[in-house]
Amino acid sequence: MEDLKAYIETGILELYVLGDITPDEKRQVEEMASKHPEIKTELDEIELSMEFYAKENAVEPSENLRSRVLGSLLTNLADDNIFTAAPLHNENDSYEEENNIVALPASKKENNFYKYAFAASFALLIASSVALVDVNSKLTDSNSQLVALQADKQHFANQVNLMDKELSVFRDTSYKLIRLKGTPKTPTSLLTVAFSPVQKKVIIDLANMKMPVNDKEHQYQLWALVGGKPVDLGVFDSATDSVTNIKEMKSLASADAFAVTLEPRGGSVNPTMDQMMVIGKF
Amino acid sequence: MSKKQKISLSEDELVLALRNHEKVAVEALYDMYSSSLYGVISRIVIDTAVAEDILQETFVKIWHSFSSYSTEKGRLFTWMVNIARNLAIDKIRSKDFKNQNKNQEIENNVTFIDEQRNTVYKPELMGVKDLVQTLKPDQKSIIDLVYFKGYTHVEAAEELGIPLGTIKTRLRMGIQELRKHFN
Repeated sequence: MEDLKAYIETGILELYVLGDITPDEKRQVEEMASKHPEIKTELDEIELSMEFYAKENAVEPSENLRSRVLGSLLTNLADDNIFTAAPLHNENDSYEEENNIVALPASKKENNFYKYAFAASFALLIASSVALVDVNSKLTDSNSQLVALQADKQHFANQVNLMDKELSVFRDTSYKLIRLKGTPKTPTSLLTVAFSPVQKKVIIDLANMKMPVNDKEHQYQLWALVGGKPVDLGVFDSATDSVTNIKEMKSLASADAFAVTLEPRGGSVNPTMDQMMVIGKF
Repeated sequence: MSKKQKISLSEDELVLALRNHEKVAVEALYDMYSSSLYGVISRIVIDTAVAEDILQETFVKIWHSFSSYSTEKGRLFTWMVNIARNLAIDKIRSKDFKNQNKNQEIENNVTFIDEQRNTVYKPELMGVKDLVQTLKPDQKSIIDLVYFKGYTHVEAAEELGIPLGTIKTRLRMGIQELRKHFN
């Protein structure tokens, strides 16, 4: 009897009624209540007072809720074997939906991101490659153009140099121009020779030269007559490229006259007199 | 309320009728207990629409699992109020509900906060005032936390900053006061 009182005094029965109790304790209380009528009575009184307390604190739900609740219960009553409660069902639905939304699209999103990122990278790579090839071909074009332009430039520079050289001949007052005229053998032949005793230079004018075309075995040879003796001044061809207008011959300090003979290719030691084409004296 | 005649049965009659799945039992069950159960639910779940959903769920669950109730275990209401309280607490602790609360629209905030702080005047609670006199404030706050807010006595001890033993004593004393008052 004392034990039961002590048990009641622990307050476990109150906690039992309030639902604030572990399943083990719950079983224990129920066992005690079934064994001891005193406990059962005590429990009943606590329950009843809490029931009254709840009634004192009751809140009336809205009028239309009654028919809603009764409707859902009586629907259940009709198909009693399937006890799927409508409102529970609704709530489960929303949970499932929520689960679906959280689980599936999250991974899908991630997949898609990498997919798109890869596609974008790949497209970029292809675009870059195409652009690179294009730019490279353009660069090659530009380079070849540059080479061509440089060659042109070189060409013009050369020409300018030559022109300059030509001009210098005319500027230099020490040059004397001698017109070598055709012999009776070739009366129309003509060659202009510029001679500077100061510079010791002999230059022939190829641009305005009028000489019969020489064959492959023969070349023209320029001679100077110094004190009645012929001096070799070098060989030249009648056909010249367009760039070279003048040709500098071997150097010479003084001369009485100039003459050109047709000699075997490479020139001769002594002039072949019957092959004299043009001659001119000071 | 006078619109419909409320059905009332004795607890034994009600339990028997419920076991037999009688239609009248369902109506009696609702009429006898809906407001008491809703009193508990509406104190835990503030939003009226959600609280009413919980009440509906409670009745469905009572109806559904009635076979697990036996009179030997105690009174019907004790069993039912535990179902109601647990459903309400499950709801406010669910992720779903928490998110919903975070997304309270701004125009609802004034009443929402008022309701949360229990500063709203509820005419249905007027009668409680008399009763409050019979309970000391420290006893009432503990009983209300455990019974109406679903706190465990351990949580209540933390919330109120009172030792566990004191909580238990006050709880018991408070209920003793209620017993004197009601019996």
